[in-house]
Amino acid sequence: MEIFTEYLLNAIFSAIPAVGFAMVFNVPRTALIFCALGGAIGYTTRFALMDLNMPIELATFLASTLIGVIALYWSRKYIVPRPVYTIASIIPLLPGTYAFTAIINLLQMNAQGVSPELITIFIDNGLKAVIILGGIGFGLAIPSLVFMRYNRPII
Amino acid sequence: MNNITYEEQTKITRAIIKAAVLMLEFGAESKLIEDTAQRLGKALGVDSVEVSLIPSAIVLSTLNNNQTQSVTTTRRAHHKPINMSIVCDVQKMCIDVEKYKKDVDYVFESIKNIKPNLYNRWLVVFMVGLSCASFAYLYGADLNGFLITFLAATVAMYVRHELAIKKFVLIISFGITAFVATLIASLSQIYELSNTPNIVMTASVILLAPGFPFVNSVLDAVKGYLSMGWGRWMQALLLSIATSIGIILAFALLSMRGW
Repeated sequence: MEIFTEYLLNAIFSAIPAVGFAMVFNVPRTALIFCALGGAIGYTTRFALMDLNMPIELATFLASTLIGVIALYWSRKYIVPRPVYTIASIIPLLPGTYAFTAIINLLQMNAQGVSPELITIFIDNGLKAVIILGGIGFGLAIPSLVFMRYNRPII
Repeated sequence: MNNITYEEQTKITRAIIKAAVLMLEFGAESKLIEDTAQRLGKALGVDSVEVSLIPSAIVLSTLNNNQTQSVTTTRRAHHKPINMSIVCDVQKMCIDVEKYKKDVDYVFESIKNIKPNLYNRWLVVFMVGLSCASFAYLYGADLNGFLITFLAATVAMYVRHELAIKKFVLIISFGITAFVATLIASLSQIYELSNTPNIVMTASVILLAPGFPFVNSVLDAVKGYLSMGWGRWMQALLLSIATSIGIILAFALLSMRGW
């Protein structure tokens, strides 16, 4: 039961950023609910995969691949370009903490002098941020790359 | 087989490039732009359309009469805030032209009538504040952290809107917004309101994360538009650096006062 509540809360709190950022990107009103759904699905998938002891990079990659596939289906059904759904949906997956910690460490290195510990933290976090970002991009691209061999437009 | 005069072909070319520039300016990915241009060209009756994209301009040629008659034109693209509803409208127009065999005048007419689907400003400010607060929750902040993040992000989004209305360059407005957000978020550390000050500061600047250019750059690069990929990557990097500079300035100010 506790696990269920945790998953539900996570799903709700990841749907909110998806909608909020979808509004910043001015997506059509009818697409907002799908952005919320996509954000919740993506984050919950990653959370579940990480519960199964999968590393965060691989879990992010698989979650964004799933978002890409679902968005492909939605875009063919409602005739809307895919970025409308996908980019709002991957917002909750962005590696915000890693990137921020890396930048703060860079500042500390400048202020207090470079030490091996700071370099370790910087490389750890920076590498994670870049790899997660790449994983998101490649995951989203995979469905359309597979579709490319038919040589006709998706919608 | 179809005899289109030079003047008619010029008009068709202008219509196609107008649609393409609109998509590039408002943040569509390159594959979508090229596909739309080629489908529009086919629907309007030219043999083929060749598109060359660079981040700041589009070069577009239409070929007709067994490729003997060619019209080429170039447009500069001025990047504007991302607006997906305009991209959607252009795509819908392209599909309509294909389906119902509309003519060039219909394209000009519907491009003229495209209006951005703008949300209420205060609703967006509130929702972005709530979004950043949700990020704070997902990263594991406590209740006070949640509330401070909400406050910081709401004010920051308001500042970002104000700067956008005053037509500041994106880089400057990102820097100032990050500065404001970090200053407010650092209240949690100064007055020890929250046990997780780092998370509060992270979550309140996440509204500046350039997710769109980053994802678009990867998508462009893997689909074979390498120069567009680099261009968008550079754009996203510049915005991130501007955000970092805002954070750095805020920290410098805080440490100057001895906090």
